[in-house]
Amino acid sequence: MKPFLSKWFQTMQVSWSNLMVYKLNFFLQIIGPMLVFFFIKLSLWSSIYGGYDYVKIGGYTLSEMLSYHLWVMIAGMIIMSSTASNLSEDIRLGKISSYLIYPFSFWEFHTAKYLARQVIQIVIALVTIVSCYFLLDRLYIAFEPVSLSIGIFVALLAGYYWFAVNYLIGILAFWLDETWTIMVGLQIMTYFFSGAIIPLELFPETMVEILYWTPFPYISFVPAKILMGHIPPLLPVIGVLGFWSLLITMISYLVWKKGLSLYTAAGM
Amino acid sequence: MTKHIFSRIKHYFNVYQGFVITCFIESMNFRLHFVLLILMDLLFYISALASIHIIYNHVETIGVWNREQLLFFVAFMLGINQLTMTFVSESYWRFPELIRSGDLDFILLKPIGAVFSVFFRYLRPGSLLNMIFTWGVITYYGLRLNLSVFAWCALPFLLLLGFLLQNAIEMVISCSMFWMLEGSGVNFVRMEMQQLARWPDFIYNKIVSRILMTVLPILLIGSAPVRFLFNINDWIPFMGMGLGILLFWGILSFIWQLGLASYESASS
Repeated sequence: MKPFLSKWFQTMQVSWSNLMVYKLNFFLQIIGPMLVFFFIKLSLWSSIYGGYDYVKIGGYTLSEMLSYHLWVMIAGMIIMSSTASNLSEDIRLGKISSYLIYPFSFWEFHTAKYLARQVIQIVIALVTIVSCYFLLDRLYIAFEPVSLSIGIFVALLAGYYWFAVNYLIGILAFWLDETWTIMVGLQIMTYFFSGAIIPLELFPETMVEILYWTPFPYISFVPAKILMGHIPPLLPVIGVLGFWSLLITMISYLVWKKGLSLYTAAGM
Repeated sequence: MTKHIFSRIKHYFNVYQGFVITCFIESMNFRLHFVLLILMDLLFYISALASIHIIYNHVETIGVWNREQLLFFVAFMLGINQLTMTFVSESYWRFPELIRSGDLDFILLKPIGAVFSVFFRYLRPGSLLNMIFTWGVITYYGLRLNLSVFAWCALPFLLLLGFLLQNAIEMVISCSMFWMLEGSGVNFVRMEMQQLARWPDFIYNKIVSRILMTVLPILLIGSAPVRFLFNINDWIPFMGMGLGILLFWGILSFIWQLGLASYESASS
């Protein structure tokens, strides 16, 4: 057991070192976009409300709307931490040969890398929560330990789903020359359907009912609402997220097996 | 003198023709990627327009604009985005690799402007086809707003000016990669700037708006020409846009030389 865990920990340490070498790059790629996205939404919604807090849109006052978007950003820090770019490059350039002989599989390696990144992202999210709590005078951050714990738990589940999808898209490089278009396409759909830009209460009702069967609302809307203190029945949340995560993981396993049979070790 | 200028333009035109042909051949070899690129852009355009529609289902105006005005603005920005995606986007993503690998050496050796060779080398034929969609929506919302004949005649030129300003600023920012170990994060800064510019100036608070209209004039890319199209008397930001284009293309030639001076080939 100990050597097995040690492999995971060693890989995570290497990932941390890599991320720390390019700190500025990490900030520009991951944290910067989230802050800018939040700033745009803050400006947009303030402009829509005209600065009046008594106006309600979709059941939200201005402070509730800003609070929602703050929690969306924090949930996003935990959920959307993984990317598939390196993964597809490894396959395309034939770099995966080494993983085939190592006692640590390609999936294990990338999952360990994801976990390393996840740890950093959780720390950043917690620092953001504490900073907002003190800086924003409890206006936007309702610090409730129960909702915070459940919210972070759901965000971690959604984070695994996001990693699994990224991994699946990455290993499509066995067949595709470029996989980033699929990833960006999925990101665009996710931002729109997850309620990251507009809360789902403002969407047409029928559409929302359908969306609840997809993983999209669980990536922004549901975790943000839980973190705000609105805890829904957890069984359906865990059920839908668990189903999609399991399905994507199983498809990834089959795709990997099929892809490996095509692999020539000289790249694809 | 005139003959010399014309022969240089002809020379650049011939070289660009070569770039275009090779990009078309390359994209025809990767047809699925070609199709995915078109779909990805379309998803982005549709989600951007749908977001505005959903918001306007709950409010009458945002700032001083009604639904049609804001949708025209967004369509205008999508037009600029489509031009950027087609003509320069790919080159921005390849630029950090050129610096890191030292392949920039080969471009510097060529008897043609290095800025031209670096930033206009790659064209995305798939994105070119999306012009049908972007011009379709621009025309549709322009008709709904009853734009004047003058506005219709000025529209293509204003779109081109927006494209020139956006890319002058982005090229200046991309030059910062000369001083970085890993410059790919700078591309995310570019994308965040595009996000900020994709909303009209009046959604931002006065200080931010003033900074983004003067120091880093990204809000002039879309707000200045669209405001001018809506009201010909609103020409001051439009003049600012002209100045911004001249200023940033000037800064680019200066900062490019500075960057080259610190470029150390493959070891940089």
